[in-house]
Order: sequence, then C-alpha cells, then structure tokens
Amino acid sequence: MSAIAAAPVRRSRRSWLFAIGLILVGINVAVALLTLVWLPYDPSSTAGGRLEAPSLLHWAGTDRLGRDLFTQIMIGSRIALMVGAGAVAIGAAIGVTLGVLSAFATRLLDDAFAAAFDILIAFPTLLLAMLVVAASDTASLGSAILALGIAISAIVARLTRILAKRVIGMDYITAARTSGTSWPQIVIKHVLPNIWPTLLVNFALQFGLAVIAEASLSYLGLGAPPPNASWGRLLQEAQGTVYTAPFGAIAPGLALLILVIGINLSADGLRDIGDPTRRGSR
Amino acid sequence: MVLFALLRLLPGDPANALLGVGATAQQIASAKAQVGSDLPLTEQFVRFVSSLARFDLGTSFVSQAPVGAEILDRLTVTIPITLLSFALAIILAVPLGIVAAVKADRWYGAVISVVSQLGIAIPVFWVGILLVTAFAINIRLFPSGGFPRHGWADPLNALRSLALPVLTIGIVMASSLLRYVRSATQDVLGSDYLRTARALGSGYTEALLRHGVRNGVVPIISILGIELASTFLGAVVVEKVFALPGLGSMLLLGISQRDYPNVQGVLFVSTLLVLLIGFVADLVQRLVDPRLRDRAVGSP
Amino acid sequence: MSNSIFRGVTRRQFGVRAIAATAAMVALLGVSPAVLAQAAFDKDAVIEIGSLYEPQNLDNTAGAGQGINEAFNGNVYEALFALTDAGTVVNSLAKDYTVSADGLTYTFTLQSGVTFHSGDPLTSADVKASIERVTAEASKSSRKKSLATIAKIETPDDATVVITLSEKSISLPYNLSYVWIVSDTAKSLADSEDGTGPYTLADWRRGSTLSLDRNDKYWGTAPTNAGVTFNYFTDATALNNALLTGAVDIITSVQSPDALAQFKDNADFTVTNGQSTTKEILAFNDRVAPFDNVKVRKAIARAIDDKKLLESIWGEYGTLIGSFVPPTDPWYTDLTAVDAYDPASAKALLTEAGYPDGFTFKLDTPDYDPHPIVAEFIKSELAKVGVTVEINIITANEWYTKVYQSLDFAATLQEHVNHRDIVFYGNPDFYWGYNNPKVIELIKQSEASATVDEQTAKLLEANKLIAEDAASDWLYLYPQIVVSASSVTGYPVNGLNSQFFAYNIEKAAK
Repeated sequence: MSAIAAAPVRRSRRSWLFAIGLILVGINVAVALLTLVWLPYDPSSTAGGRLEAPSLLHWAGTDRLGRDLFTQIMIGSRIALMVGAGAVAIGAAIGVTLGVLSAFATRLLDDAFAAAFDILIAFPTLLLAMLVVAASDTASLGSAILALGIAISAIVARLTRILAKRVIGMDYITAARTSGTSWPQIVIKHVLPNIWPTLLVNFALQFGLAVIAEASLSYLGLGAPPPNASWGRLLQEAQGTVYTAPFGAIAPGLALLILVIGINLSADGLRDIGDPTRRGSR
Repeated sequence: MVLFALLRLLPGDPANALLGVGATAQQIASAKAQVGSDLPLTEQFVRFVSSLARFDLGTSFVSQAPVGAEILDRLTVTIPITLLSFALAIILAVPLGIVAAVKADRWYGAVISVVSQLGIAIPVFWVGILLVTAFAINIRLFPSGGFPRHGWADPLNALRSLALPVLTIGIVMASSLLRYVRSATQDVLGSDYLRTARALGSGYTEALLRHGVRNGVVPIISILGIELASTFLGAVVVEKVFALPGLGSMLLLGISQRDYPNVQGVLFVSTLLVLLIGFVADLVQRLVDPRLRDRAVGSP
Repeated sequence: MSNSIFRGVTRRQFGVRAIAATAAMVALLGVSPAVLAQAAFDKDAVIEIGSLYEPQNLDNTAGAGQGINEAFNGNVYEALFALTDAGTVVNSLAKDYTVSADGLTYTFTLQSGVTFHSGDPLTSADVKASIERVTAEASKSSRKKSLATIAKIETPDDATVVITLSEKSISLPYNLSYVWIVSDTAKSLADSEDGTGPYTLADWRRGSTLSLDRNDKYWGTAPTNAGVTFNYFTDATALNNALLTGAVDIITSVQSPDALAQFKDNADFTVTNGQSTTKEILAFNDRVAPFDNVKVRKAIARAIDDKKLLESIWGEYGTLIGSFVPPTDPWYTDLTAVDAYDPASAKALLTEAGYPDGFTFKLDTPDYDPHPIVAEFIKSELAKVGVTVEINIITANEWYTKVYQSLDFAATLQEHVNHRDIVFYGNPDFYWGYNNPKVIELIKQSEASATVDEQTAKLLEANKLIAEDAASDWLYLYPQIVVSASSVTGYPVNGLNSQFFAYNIEKAAK
C-alpha cells in the first residue's frame, strides 16, 4: 500500500505510456511525411458539397467550400510539426544562449537577466505571440512560429540558467577554470553535455505547448492565415458551423489532442530515462 | 521602452481607426495630427515617458476616454476571474495531484493522470465552447457570456456570469498544476527524510503531512506565482469566448486598432501586477522554506 | 467564422459609407417586418439587443465607426430628415421645406416644441452648428464631402434655416438625414450626448453594453418600450448563444447561415430576411496591369462561379448581383447575365488580352470572415483558367493604409455596406481607380438633375456601363438577417446604413 510497493507497477505502466506516446508521435510524423507525396484529394478542390457529413468518400466530411477535411487535417499534421519544431528551434537557440550567458555573467548582470526572464515568463506565451504577430508586416505561418519561438525562449533561458549555474558550481568546473580552460570550452565540454537531457524534455513539452498556442492564436485571428490548413484554423473555422456540422470541429481537435498527448507522454518517458529517481524507488 | 518600440513597429496608423472609406487626404492629415502619429518618434517617446512619470496613462486615441479609468473598470472583471479560477485550480489540483501520486497504482490515480493529460492537450477556447454547450445551452444553468450592465452592483448576476469562464480557466490551469503537484509529491515520497520519519515511528499519513507538505510546497509556490500572473492576460481567449469586458479584450482591441495609449496602459499595469505577484510569491516561498531566506529576490 | 475579433471595431467602420446620390426617393422595399401587433405588450420592458458592432466613441464626426449609427441614429439623435428602414427619406426635425426654382436655395421650417435632452430648446442656431460640425476642418465624418456644395447657412428666425448651395444637389435632404442635430451647448460628445431623440444615453460600459432610457419628454410618439441595451460581442458564436439562452432578445445582423439552423424551425424565435445593401466585391486596381485591361477583368469575372460561392458562404440566403447596385436602388437592373460564369470564354479572353498562359497576382484579403474563405474560393476557381492567386492576409487597419491610402495593391476583397454608393465609380481617385469619363459625367449630371426620374435614368445608364467594363467583380449581395425571440416585434428588418430604430420594438407582456 505504499509508494515503494507500487514502484514495479508504475514502472511498467510508465514504459507502456512512453511507448504509446512514441507511437502517437510516430503516426503524426508518418502522416506528415505522407502528405509530401500523396493526398486523398487536391486540397483546393471544391468539388464536394457544402458541409457534408463524414462518409466513405470524405472521412472527416467537407468544409463550407466543399473541400475534403481529412486532406486538410493531414496537411495540418505537417504544419503542426513545423510550428512545433520551428518554435522550439528558435526558442532553444535564443534561450540556451541567453541562459548560458546569464549563468556566466557577473552577479549584477545575472540578477538582471534572471528578473527579465521571470517577467517574460509571467507574460503568457499567447500575449507575447500576439504582440510579435501584430508587429510583423503580414500575418504568416512564419510570424506565428517566430512569435511562439520568442515566447518559448524565455522559458528555456530561465531553465538553462538554473541548470548551468548548478553545473558551474561543481568542483570540477572550478578546477577547470583555475587550470585556465576558457569559458566557451567549459560551456561546450562540461555545461552543455550535462544539461541537455533535462533541456530535451523541456523542449518536448514546449513543442506540445506551441502546437496548442498556435490553435489559440488562430482562434484570435492571429495564427497561420489561409491557405495554411493549420488545425487551429480548422477549429476556428468550424466553430461558426459547430451546430450544423460538429464533425468539422471534432476531427481537427482529435488530431491535435493525439499529437499533444503523444508528445507529453514521450516527454514524460524521456524524463524517466534521464532521471532515475522518477522511475519509482531508488 | 521596449514596449514603446515594439508598438511603433506595428504597421498601420492609429489614425486609420478613426476614418472610414470616403475620407479625404485632408481628413487623414487632421486625424494624424490629433493622435500625434505625425510627430517624430523621439517626440512621441518623450511624451509617453513624461506622462508615465506622472502616472498618467493618457487618453485613448479611438474612444477618447482616459486609459486609466477604463483599465480600472476592466480590472473589476479581470481580477475576480483571476483570483477565482486560481482558487478553483488549487482546490482541484492539490488534492487530486497528491492522490494521483500516492495512489498511482489504483485505477483512480491513473484516471486523474489521464484526465489531466487531456486538460493540457485541449486548447482553452475549446474547453470554453464545450462548457457553454453543456451548461448554458443544454441545461441553462449559467449565462453563456456577457457581464451584467451594472457590474458588481448586481453581485449575484456578476458571479453567475463569471461561473463558466472561471470553470474554464480553472480546469485548464488545474490540469497543468496537477502535474507539478504530483511530481512534487513523488519527490517527497521518494525522499530519505520521509523514510526516516516513518522509521522513527510516524504514521504514513502523518509523515506525509508533516514533512511532505512543507517540502513539496516550495517549488509549487513559484509555479503558482507564474500561473497567477499569466492568468491576468492569459484570459484573453476566454474573454472572447464569453464576451467579457476584461483587460485581455481591451488589449486585443487596442492592438487591432493601433490604439497605443490603451495597449501601453494595459501592458504597463499588467507588468506592475506581474512584478508584484512575483515579489509576493518569493516572499511566501522564503517564509515557508528557511533554506531560501538568504537568497536575493527575483533570482531563485 | 474567421477573425471575428476585429469585426466588432473595424468591420463596419471600413465598410464603405455612402456618399448619397439622390434626393428623397420612394424605394418601397418588398419586405414587411413582423410587426403584427401582439395582443398586449409590456411598455416598461427593456429590450436587450445583441450586436457585433460596438462604437469606438460616441461622436460620429470623431471616428465613432458604423456602430454608432446602429445605436444612436433615430434613437438618441435625430436629423432634419430620417432615412426610414424602407429606404424613404421623410421629414423629421424639419417640419417642412421649400426649394427655390433654380434648385440652389432650400428653406427649412423646424418642428416646434422640441427640446434637447439637456433641456435646451431646439433652434435654427443648433441646426446651423450641427451642420457646421460635420463640415468643420477637424471633422472625420465621411459625409463631409457630400455636403461640400453648401455655400451658406442662414437663420432668419429660431424656427427657420436657409441653406444656399453653390451647385444643384438633388440629394441634399437625403444627405441631411445623416447630420445629427446636436445642441450647440453640448460638450464632449465622445462620451456623452445631447440629442432630441426618443431615448437618452443611460450608460456605456466599454467592451460590453450601451444602454438607452426612454426620454419621457420626447416631442414625438413615445417609444413602445422603456429602453434598450445594446450588448456587444466580438464573437458571432457567443452572440448566437446569448440569443439562444435568452440573454438578448434580438441579434441585429446574423453573419452566417449555419447559426440560423438553431433558430429557423423553432417557435421561440423569429427569423426575418430583409433587404441588404452590403456587397462583397473583388476590387481590381484598375490603374495597373493586368487589371487596367478590361478583357482581363471580364475574364476574371467569368472565371468565378458566383453562385457556388454564394451557396458556400450563405447557403440558401443572399442574392447574386451583376453590378454594384442592389435591387433596392431605383437604378437597379438585372445585370447578372453580363460576364456570367463561363470559364471557356474566360480563357479565350485571357488569350486575347495577351495572357494565354495566365498570370500571377496578389490578392490583399482582410483577415475577417468571409474574406479569407472567399479568397480561397477565388484562388481555386482562377487556377482552372491558369491564373495564380497569392493570398495576402492583412488586418483592417493595414487595408486602410495599404489599399485605401497608398493604392499599393493589385486586387483586394472588401464588403461595401452602404446604400446608394454607385457614385464611388464616378470618382477616378477612389481606391479602385476606375476612370471612365462617361460614367463620371453621368454621375455628376445625376446630382444636378431636376427630377428624380432624370436622376434615375442617368444612374441606370452609369450602372450598365460599369457592369460592361467589369469595373470590379461584384461577387454577391449579403442577406440582412435579423433574429429575435418571438415575443419581440416591431424592429427594423433592413438595417439600412446599419441603423436600428428601437422605438417601435414591443415585447409581449408575460
């Protein structure tokens, strides 16, 4: 009846969940790749009827213009991966750089950095993204990705700083420093290799958050503009017809749910691998 | 200042919001003069800073109403939503998170974890729309949106109109909070001091409550601080779903109209609030955890 | 629905406002509102109105946007004349008027016993000041230009106003129906009012509600309700839910046919399909290649299946139009056969015009519904004739800067909301740059017409010419759909120029 007794059960369930997560993400990647070479319908073909219900011909029904929704959802998986990967790449590049710089900076500068990160984090991802999207010349998928990337960078920077400081505080780094190893060398040889497993888990979580945030941006009218069939935009378009054609709102929502849950489960699994204390008992 | 620069990068001119199709060149020029968008950027900036120093948030370009008054009015919607959904999230997340960690081997522990996964993976507006469909349209329990004309002068109706928005934010927030609570609890469960306490004869529950809560709560507080702060403006989406006149909708409207005084005002006030919350969270954290007492504020 | 956030503020405001072209014209609109008197109505009921169009401020010369017309025209402020929901111009604060033989001098007699909400009595000085408020240098009113022919305003006595024109303007009474008569002692009209209407402003909670109370000292017929509250929404779905759950009694303008499914076969609600003047158009920049070529414009018009588009957006609602003129204008004639859907001839025309392999152009598309989905439809249609469309999504504010002011565009989508706005084609400097001297002359002459028949004939001629030139591609006419709880009757169904007269609304006694 104690946590200790429960450990084996939990471990096996956790590895199952990890496997499920990887499979869900894998399906998504496979569909995204498939869209590059094959699609059930021409995405811009308006040959179908208006708001047809799901059928054998149109698995997820059609939209107002008579376009096949399943085709659009498939394309959406590619866009979701682009949004997630792009935003995380930008967030990681900026965030890790700033975080490491801050960790190595003088006390005063470091405090300033830390305060800035805290404030930025407290501003919701969505709000920062709104400002960046509004500031970019024309709304585009690129501006949405950039916006989310910038928002993510604050979170990554804060985490990197904390992790890096922990590493820098260790004895062998002090030893390396006294023996004349330069800063960049310490970063590359000691700091990054030590912190990347934790960062990786965080990147995975941010990936999922970015996909959701894009949906919310689309709802506010600031997300990927047409003709990008992002899930967020499909959801937002379907909202107006939710009473007459609820399937249009359900299918993209499910797709989004599957990817995000897949990513979160994978992230949890990764963390278990990287951090044995979480695997149950010691 | 960053604020100022970012805003002036927005394409479009605030004067546009005042004009319709049919405006002549001369009308356009006079609108620009009125809102000051024809002045050099440096001068606009000087004006901005000098009025900020006097705690004067200026006058909206578009509605020509004082920004400060409108912010105060909208805070009467935003602050209650924030605090209520925050409280709801804690009430939901803390016990459930602890149960999910302690009873992870039981079916309900697993169900809690799965449901919280769903809560994180669904966009917030979708939760809102589902709740409206269920509680406003099907069983007519709560209004689907809007805020009473006389606001809090009619407290019962005001509360009723906040019910669904609070539930929406509360559920989503609780889902992410729950995960932190669960992993903090797991850390505590696996810790040496807990085992020591049990070896010394404390009961399991007693040990968990006496030692676990105190240690587990420290990381949670800083998370809470961030969550609380982000609810202030994170409510934008929910305000749209429920047609609420809060701070978030003021910001969104301001951005689309390029109404800089409004946008600057909202961001300025919310930055202050965010800093305040961060400060309080830090303070509480240090009260709870003696190890943190010598740390500098703002750099955990 | 896309991007409805911007809609509340900017949609109507960027919708094009009419510069009036005509004088009092009887345009009998074929729809009779569901005003059959109910057995008993509650004269103390407050009517809750749901709308997507919140005004930006309360002064129509200070850029309040179109939402102010909805809330204030005829309700809080009155003018010398009123444009009724049926499209007729009737006397309001002007009891009577005479026109001199040369058509240049108008003499108006004012109603007697009228007081402003502040208690100040209505005099000719107030009228003069009110007109000058619209024509003043700082005025942002879009009506300013249409009143430019006013040379002089005199006030021989308190009840008489004499307006002298520099040239004939048959539309003067129509144009004056847009000029609010405001007390000359009023201050700060951006957040308060001083009109003569049947309602006074009670309060305005920005972003939420605007409430009007019955004016018990009103000079005319008292309203059939105790007041109205406009409830503002930025999201169409949220607005529909409000009606569905009884939080509002009426929606002033439904924006999607799908929302109607919930109300149509439900005895608790009344759906009225009125006459709209809102036109969805694909506006070419007629100044620059390839759209300076009439053949290219006609080819594009023929390549797009307007009927299928209208059905996609509006289901069974809405009307196809062949030019900028809706059926309710006297100078309407059915021009849908001009450049009707015919992809084969579109292709042939493109070849004739020197584009056998088509071309590529950028379509500046406002980011709110229905423009993005219309753009996608056009892209798919034009692809069939070899023309590639690059969709460029912009905000309403950017549209104003880029398209309207800088004329930096190839083609754009826009909805033009107003009544009698064919006159825009008589202005070669207008954003679409249509420049046909014959049309310009006809529109100019129509304003100087001595009779309404003459004016109608001239504008009908101009109407046919712009259609033949495919000056723009007129995609469809929106329907004007008002939905109410069935206990509520007596509201305007056409909403001309966004007006929404509330004083006849009755709510059944419970």
